[in-house]
Amino acid sequence: MSTFRRVVLLALGLAVMVSVAARAQDARQQLSSSSVIEEIKRNGVLRVGISTFVPWSMRDKKGDLIGFEIDVANQVAKDMGVKAEFVPTAWDGIIPALLAGKFDVIISGMSITPQRNLTVNFTVPYAHSGQQMTANKKLAGGFKSLEDFNDPKVTITCRRGTSTCVAAKKIFPKATFREFDDEAQCLQEVLNGNAHAVVTSAPKPRMWTLDHPDTLFMPTDENLTKSDEAFAVRKGDPDAINFFDNWILFNTSNGWLDERHDYWFKGNAWKDQVSSN
Amino acid sequence: MRGALPLTEAFAGKHRGVPPTARPALRFTWLDALIIALVVGTGVYIGYRINDVLNYHWRWSRVAEYIVRWDERRGVWVPNLLLQGFFMTLRLAVWGIFWAALLGLVMGIFRTSRLLLPRLGAFIYVGLVRNTPPLVFIFIFYFFISGQIVPLLGLDRLAATASPTVSAIITALCGEPKLLVNFATGLMCLALFEGAYVTEIVRAGIQSIERGQWEAGRSLGLSPLRLLRLVILPQAFRRILPPLAGQFVSLIKTSSIVSLISIQELTFSAGEAAVTTGGVFEVWLIAAGMYLAICYPCSVFFDHLERRLNPLGGN
Repeated sequence: MSTFRRVVLLALGLAVMVSVAARAQDARQQLSSSSVIEEIKRNGVLRVGISTFVPWSMRDKKGDLIGFEIDVANQVAKDMGVKAEFVPTAWDGIIPALLAGKFDVIISGMSITPQRNLTVNFTVPYAHSGQQMTANKKLAGGFKSLEDFNDPKVTITCRRGTSTCVAAKKIFPKATFREFDDEAQCLQEVLNGNAHAVVTSAPKPRMWTLDHPDTLFMPTDENLTKSDEAFAVRKGDPDAINFFDNWILFNTSNGWLDERHDYWFKGNAWKDQVSSN
Repeated sequence: MRGALPLTEAFAGKHRGVPPTARPALRFTWLDALIIALVVGTGVYIGYRINDVLNYHWRWSRVAEYIVRWDERRGVWVPNLLLQGFFMTLRLAVWGIFWAALLGLVMGIFRTSRLLLPRLGAFIYVGLVRNTPPLVFIFIFYFFISGQIVPLLGLDRLAATASPTVSAIITALCGEPKLLVNFATGLMCLALFEGAYVTEIVRAGIQSIERGQWEAGRSLGLSPLRLLRLVILPQAFRRILPPLAGQFVSLIKTSSIVSLISIQELTFSAGEAAVTTGGVFEVWLIAAGMYLAICYPCSVFFDHLERRLNPLGGN
């Protein structure tokens, strides 16, 4: 190989390396500047998709949004130096709305499931909840064990499109399920005696049982299933996942998330703010 | 009863000005009393049975606060969730009727055009919209199409940069500026959807006008546009008013489905209030009452208009 050829090859090799390196840096810059985190900082607004679900997020007497989720989102926004803007969304359309860019992140008590994870990315969980069941005394009072609910003659209600519904169907595969758009209808069917039991996220079944001690009872005090709730963001955005993951980690370690969770899920201090019962 | 009048007297001009189909004088008979008693009785019985069948604590007070609330800081009553939703539905209704009527008129004329292109365009529009379920149409429109159109209109920039006066005008006409994009999307869905039905009503109206009218207009040397404006449309309008009125009332009720794409109108607000308070039946009964409060005056208005335009009771 002549010297000339060597020089040409070396030059070519260098040129390729430089351009590859430059392109890699380009891609990195592009990736981080197109992250939703940068967009949020640019606009000064964190748009959060929520769906009303007591006590995750609800309306107080003034019509303002309150709840565990609202506290969490406001704190995230505060730590980013931006304002949180809430986009109340029908639960059925919350994932498509995220994908269509109607908001930046879903913080709405969404449980991690593999199916959902195929369409959106989840952070690490910021809350751990479970499903409980409350049943009609007249219809199910004679049942001896949970196994008695696993019968085609038994009707169980749950909220459509929730992971609760999926989980409940796994536990009671033989039972008849009726799915409603919101929890109030699920409960009303049981109160009216049209369904034996309702399954939904803790702590609602316990709250309902306390509200209607003559009609309802809890077949078991234990949670039927456990689930982990996380923020959901659009796919292909590693920076956003990293930021939210570490925000959750940070606020789990310092106890803030636990404290807020207990305030909304275990205590009654907020009951006066809503006129529910 | 007018029937009791001798025919000759009626024709002698004694009752001139009373059209033949004017309402007969009201007379209360035992049959009316019986029917009213039956209706009231059934209502009371159903009300009584509801308490039997329905295991439910009625507590109107917990819901009342979600209609209006007392703002202690400013010392005034302010509309809360339900009333805000009511206003949003009212805005959707007014704007929806306006745009659907405009779209329907243009497309209706296109449908009867002698040129192929407009006729084909309107045909495709009506065919696509009328043969898809409203829910599917709204989902497709919201997630795939509105995302492309709304940014082009620059509404989000307008909302963000509006001066206080402009912002106040926007608030009065379309609700909170922050939700302007949201409102516009819902409105577009509604107008496009209902516009297709109005198109067909307009088309039928235009086609119902006798050929002689067209020929007479043309022989007077009217241009196609003036012929439509001066001869055809006024007559067609009178004929299509009853189905049009029905369509507009149906538009108001259909506006509830845009709650599925999270437009904060009455149905959406009612859903939120129902979940939060647990007063499901109270909230939905109030919402039904509010829809009635919008739709009924609308029906009455169209009835009135119809009678004014057709003083002789139709043709």
